[in-house]
Amino acid sequence: MTNAVPLTLERMRADIAKALDESPEIVTDDENLIDLGLDSMRVLVLTTQWAETGIPLQFSDLAAHVTLAGWWEVVQRLQAGSAAQK
Amino acid sequence: MSEATSAVELAGTVQARPLTEAQAGIWYAQRLAPENPAYNTAHILWIDGDLDVAAFVATANRAAQEAPALSLRIRDEEGGPQQWEDADYRPAIEVVDLGTDADPAATARAQMRADYLSPVDPGRDRLAQQRLFVLGPQRFAWYLRVHHLVTDGYGMALFSERVCALYGAADAGSPLGPLAPVFDEDTAYRASDKRVRDAAYWREHLAGVPAASGLGPGFAPPAAEALRLVRPLDASLRERLLATAARLGQPWPDLVTALTADYCRRHAGVAEAVLGVPAMGRLGSASASVPAMVMNVLPLRVAQSSAPVEEFVRSVGSAMTRARRHGRYRSEQLRRDLGLVGAQRRLYGPLINVQPFYQPLLLRGVALRTEILSTGPVDDVTLGFRGDAKTLLDLEVEANPSLYTPAQLEAHGARLPAFLHAALAACDAGRSLDDVPLATPAETEHFLYAVNDTAHEVPDTTLVALYEAQMAATPDAPALEFEGEVLSYAQLEQRSRALALQLRAQGVGRESVVALALPRSLELVIALLAVQRAGGAYLPLDLAHPDARLARILDSAQPACVLAFDDAVVRFPGRDVLTPAQWSRDSAAALDADVQPQDAAYVIYTSGSTGEPKGVLIEHRAIVNRLEWMRTHYAIGAGDRILQKTPATFDVSVWEFFLPCLCGATLVVAPPDAHRDPRAIAQLIRQRNITTLHFVPSMLSAFLAAPDAQGLSVQRVFVSGEELGAELRDRFHATMHGELHNLYGPTEAAVDVSYWPAGPDDRSRPVPIGFPVWNTRLYVLDGRMRPLPPGVVGDLYLGGVQLARGYLGRADLTAERFLDDPFVPGARIYRSGDVARWRADGAVEFLGRSDHQIKLRGLRIELGEIEAAVRSAPGVARAEVMLRDDRLVAYLQGEGGAEIDEQVLRSHVAARVPDYMVPSAFVALADWPLTANGKLDRGALPAPAVQMGESAPRTPTERELAALYAQVLELDAQVGAEADFFGLGGDSLSAVRLLMEIQKRWRCDPGLGALFATPTVAALAALIDAQPAQADHGLAPLIRLAPEVTGSTPLFAVHPAGGIAWNYRDLARALSPARTVYGLQSPALDLAEPLPESIAVLAADYADRIATVHAAGPVHLVGWSVGGIIAQAMAVELERRGREVGVLALLDAYPAECWRAEPEPTPVAALRALLAIAGYDPEAHPELDTRERVIAFLRRGDSALGNLPEPVLDGVVRAVTGTNRLVRGHHHVACAATVLHIRAGRDHATRPHLQSSLWAPYTAKVEAVELPFLHAEMTGRDAVARIAPLLSQQMSRHADVTKGNA
Repeated sequence: MTNAVPLTLERMRADIAKALDESPEIVTDDENLIDLGLDSMRVLVLTTQWAETGIPLQFSDLAAHVTLAGWWEVVQRLQAGSAAQK
Repeated sequence: MSEATSAVELAGTVQARPLTEAQAGIWYAQRLAPENPAYNTAHILWIDGDLDVAAFVATANRAAQEAPALSLRIRDEEGGPQQWEDADYRPAIEVVDLGTDADPAATARAQMRADYLSPVDPGRDRLAQQRLFVLGPQRFAWYLRVHHLVTDGYGMALFSERVCALYGAADAGSPLGPLAPVFDEDTAYRASDKRVRDAAYWREHLAGVPAASGLGPGFAPPAAEALRLVRPLDASLRERLLATAARLGQPWPDLVTALTADYCRRHAGVAEAVLGVPAMGRLGSASASVPAMVMNVLPLRVAQSSAPVEEFVRSVGSAMTRARRHGRYRSEQLRRDLGLVGAQRRLYGPLINVQPFYQPLLLRGVALRTEILSTGPVDDVTLGFRGDAKTLLDLEVEANPSLYTPAQLEAHGARLPAFLHAALAACDAGRSLDDVPLATPAETEHFLYAVNDTAHEVPDTTLVALYEAQMAATPDAPALEFEGEVLSYAQLEQRSRALALQLRAQGVGRESVVALALPRSLELVIALLAVQRAGGAYLPLDLAHPDARLARILDSAQPACVLAFDDAVVRFPGRDVLTPAQWSRDSAAALDADVQPQDAAYVIYTSGSTGEPKGVLIEHRAIVNRLEWMRTHYAIGAGDRILQKTPATFDVSVWEFFLPCLCGATLVVAPPDAHRDPRAIAQLIRQRNITTLHFVPSMLSAFLAAPDAQGLSVQRVFVSGEELGAELRDRFHATMHGELHNLYGPTEAAVDVSYWPAGPDDRSRPVPIGFPVWNTRLYVLDGRMRPLPPGVVGDLYLGGVQLARGYLGRADLTAERFLDDPFVPGARIYRSGDVARWRADGAVEFLGRSDHQIKLRGLRIELGEIEAAVRSAPGVARAEVMLRDDRLVAYLQGEGGAEIDEQVLRSHVAARVPDYMVPSAFVALADWPLTANGKLDRGALPAPAVQMGESAPRTPTERELAALYAQVLELDAQVGAEADFFGLGGDSLSAVRLLMEIQKRWRCDPGLGALFATPTVAALAALIDAQPAQADHGLAPLIRLAPEVTGSTPLFAVHPAGGIAWNYRDLARALSPARTVYGLQSPALDLAEPLPESIAVLAADYADRIATVHAAGPVHLVGWSVGGIIAQAMAVELERRGREVGVLALLDAYPAECWRAEPEPTPVAALRALLAIAGYDPEAHPELDTRERVIAFLRRGDSALGNLPEPVLDGVVRAVTGTNRLVRGHHHVACAATVLHIRAGRDHATRPHLQSSLWAPYTAKVEAVELPFLHAEMTGRDAVARIAPLLSQQMSRHADVTKGNA
């Protein structure tokens, strides 16, 4: 349904860092992103951005476990689901 | 879990556990203000349509079950407050059918209002309530009220959403989340390293943080109900906001927060502001879907920025990101960390609350509209933005009504959106926020032009032409009076013309300057006119000034000559001096000076900030405008007699001198030096029939304090030259009769440019300087010369025809202060150096010179505000405050020189200004040092003395406390018992330190208020020693109801059935200070104490207690109701012990056998005994049939009994039932004392057998009195007014008898 480049862990890291006005190194896989200063509005913006890569990502998917690793797991699962639909 | 948990009976799913940090803050705040209902949050959902009421009720109840927070109960335990879930407290929805009501919506609204505006005691009451009002077949209102302790606004929304989702849904969806994990999260955070790191971050981030300030001045505790205003933001603003945010790559909430923060900072007029940003704290938390109190407020520092808006927004955005990283750290804790103690020292000013996730609620099949009623206490103002900005964004302003008016809220509702529009435009144009004006275009237009629409036709002429015409018109009228001499207008014309001709002959002409060094005299007035008629400008000199200063002025002005009396000639070596003896007195010649409106009329030197005097040159046209305005505006005419008492060197004298000659009035010249003598002025007013005169406020204050001013009557008094305080205005009208007019203006603008009628009905605080006079403009501008909206402090600029030409010979200084008018091409304005703000009505408020504003420990302080507080204290005639050696010192004078108790004064001031603004020293003055111009000479005020106290501390507490004083204040010397903490140099900061030490040492906190009220070592030690008695809520077995008096026999008052003796307070007060009164209270109140076995045992116990405070000698007893039965038994016991009972007064009490057949009271009936103790007739309130209702009733009636802790209420029930049982089993024995029986004559209609004579078997003698009251009223105020004299008389008679026997 879309030709967008699939989302990668590193792009997610970079996007989060940008939202926080920080360098990507600070966003380690298991760091609690709230403790890095992420807020709901930024999570919503990231949700929208990443959904554009062709996965049915929703805000509530990301609101539960707020670490990069947790999010990557969600994204991978959705990517697998989208791939199966094609 | 703490040990206390096990003691609490557990119910429901949330087991007893301590409050979270978020809750604890609210708990203590509510405890400090138990009567404030502001912590009730509430909203209404208006429902239109076909609601299935039964289904909705079931849904709402189910949601309440899912939200255990709403069923929480809280109780103070040993280790701190504990909370647990109690299913009985669950807010089951109550259906209220108002279908038959005439105006059901209004009735529902009134009931809701009454509910959420009733204070809730979280230790006792239900914390949540929901009601469904049925307003009609198709109209309903669902009301939800929850105490902020158990949920925040986000939780309220979660709950409402859940109800809406459940109603009529096939699938129940996900329930609300469990509460326990929310509490666990708090417990874990409290013990974590993260919290320590967060604390460290904030400490560093907030180092040197400026004081919080709101959109306007002042602090006030939050009111019961905030003002609210909702303004939907228009689509163009929302679109621009979203577009700019997208362009910057910043979330729009951050963008709107940043811009709003600068809006707030600009209103506060500070370089850096601290705002509060609420953080919901739900993301990634166990509380994500749980109604609970989680939200926090993060402080946001925002400094003035000249950078492009984009850069500013990014920096605020990253500051907010950093704040969120440490966002779990409670702001209440932060305040404690920073020592911001007390309601007036806040961490942040306005709150900026953006709720981007807000979505309107939807309920199946009906239309729904949400109306917020209360979101919790509002300290200052909350600027809220609710909505997604795409479809909707509402600006919601909530404000403290003690600080803002509805009109001000309206103004912000228009101004803030306009500011956001302009700021976004500036952002998109790459400009900075400095480029954005604060006022709206409409405000700019109004405050530049509409308020300054003062154009008025004035003849373009000279003073000379005007007074020459008057002299010709009324030659025989008296022009001038001085010490018994009178000059007619013809004589004045003659003599001034003669001198003018002489000056002309000496070369004086247009633009010449002639110096006058003459004291007040006829010659002075003649000289003024002569100089002008010769074409020149006069320059007044003060001979009291040092020679060097006079020389500097003369060198600068280069006068053609000096006019002075003989004795002053030596002061002007090398100058051409003309003494009156040399003046020509008569001449028939005419003058040919041809003076023009643009010619100089006078030159007055003012002191420059650098110390070099500056000569202000005023032209005829300017002063003509000023005088013609005054003559017309105040209708001053030939009948007026104007007092000339202002020194000629002070420009106020100009209108005194010239106004009479413009309208044929008489100028009464006061003798030299009379202007400083209130008695002499009062005499002049009375004897010379003065109608019009002027005072500098300092002098007016001194004048009014003089007995001679009492009852004086004049037509009008003008004040100017200093700020007119509201208290002085009021004192003027209380002291004398006449109009009072406040005028304002610098020498540089021809005396005065604005006026304000400060009449007896004027309630303005501060008193404005008012409106511009004719042909005059006032501007209040910001640093970029833009007009400011009303209420915002800025620099005052003056424009119009009255401006001076400039400073004589100082083009540089002239250019510095006289600028091009940016709003009127070709015109000039004068920078006054004064700070001012507009009122909404177009009057200007003067806020002082910028140098009257001081900084103390980083806090901005307006000395005027402190002065106003001191002046409002009773008995204070005058007060001035200044900063000396980093201490605030108040100088004051009592009315009629009376002494004022410093401690009373300190408490008074502490109640009105923030603690850091309470002066640390109060110095009483009899005389105020004045400068030559009659203004207060601040430099000459004496330094305050340090009082160490003479007598040494006596008790152990005093000794320890004295040592603490010395330690906290870092004193080497020994501190005496009478030493005053503030007298020793203590201030609010050290006061807090002292209180912390006291807390550590004695485990009690007398509070800052108590320290202000009792600052001596001895008084505070007494307070500390008395603390344990206070800590148990006045429920000790023996309490003192009236202060101790030595040498008189004490009266002991025995509690009635409820066990509490507070009802005798009125009686005790009526007998005080002649007699000590104690109250005996039932030991049964304390559930830990065993109940006594019999009345006899109880009486013996009470006799023991009497012995602890009064070991020997006679005692008096009084007992009401059951207390009378006990009192008689005590008399028997005391006599058995060989102690004498004086008066035994029984207030409508009857012997025990009368009650044996009565049924025992139920617990509720027992509790109703409290009603009697509080002074109500329980019989009149049959509707109070539950514990809750009784307590609620007592609280509404403002009775302290309504605030008794739960265990004590249980104690009351036990006391009533227990004591009643004992009464039934009691058999009286006779005593020797005489019974004074006072019967409630209006009662006992159904029990006529209750008579005084029933006591006859149990006493030597009954003295019977009957008073027209009910039983319940016997210790109330009205009955006490009759009983107290009776008791007093009996007790004194007993003393006489005793003495007679001795």
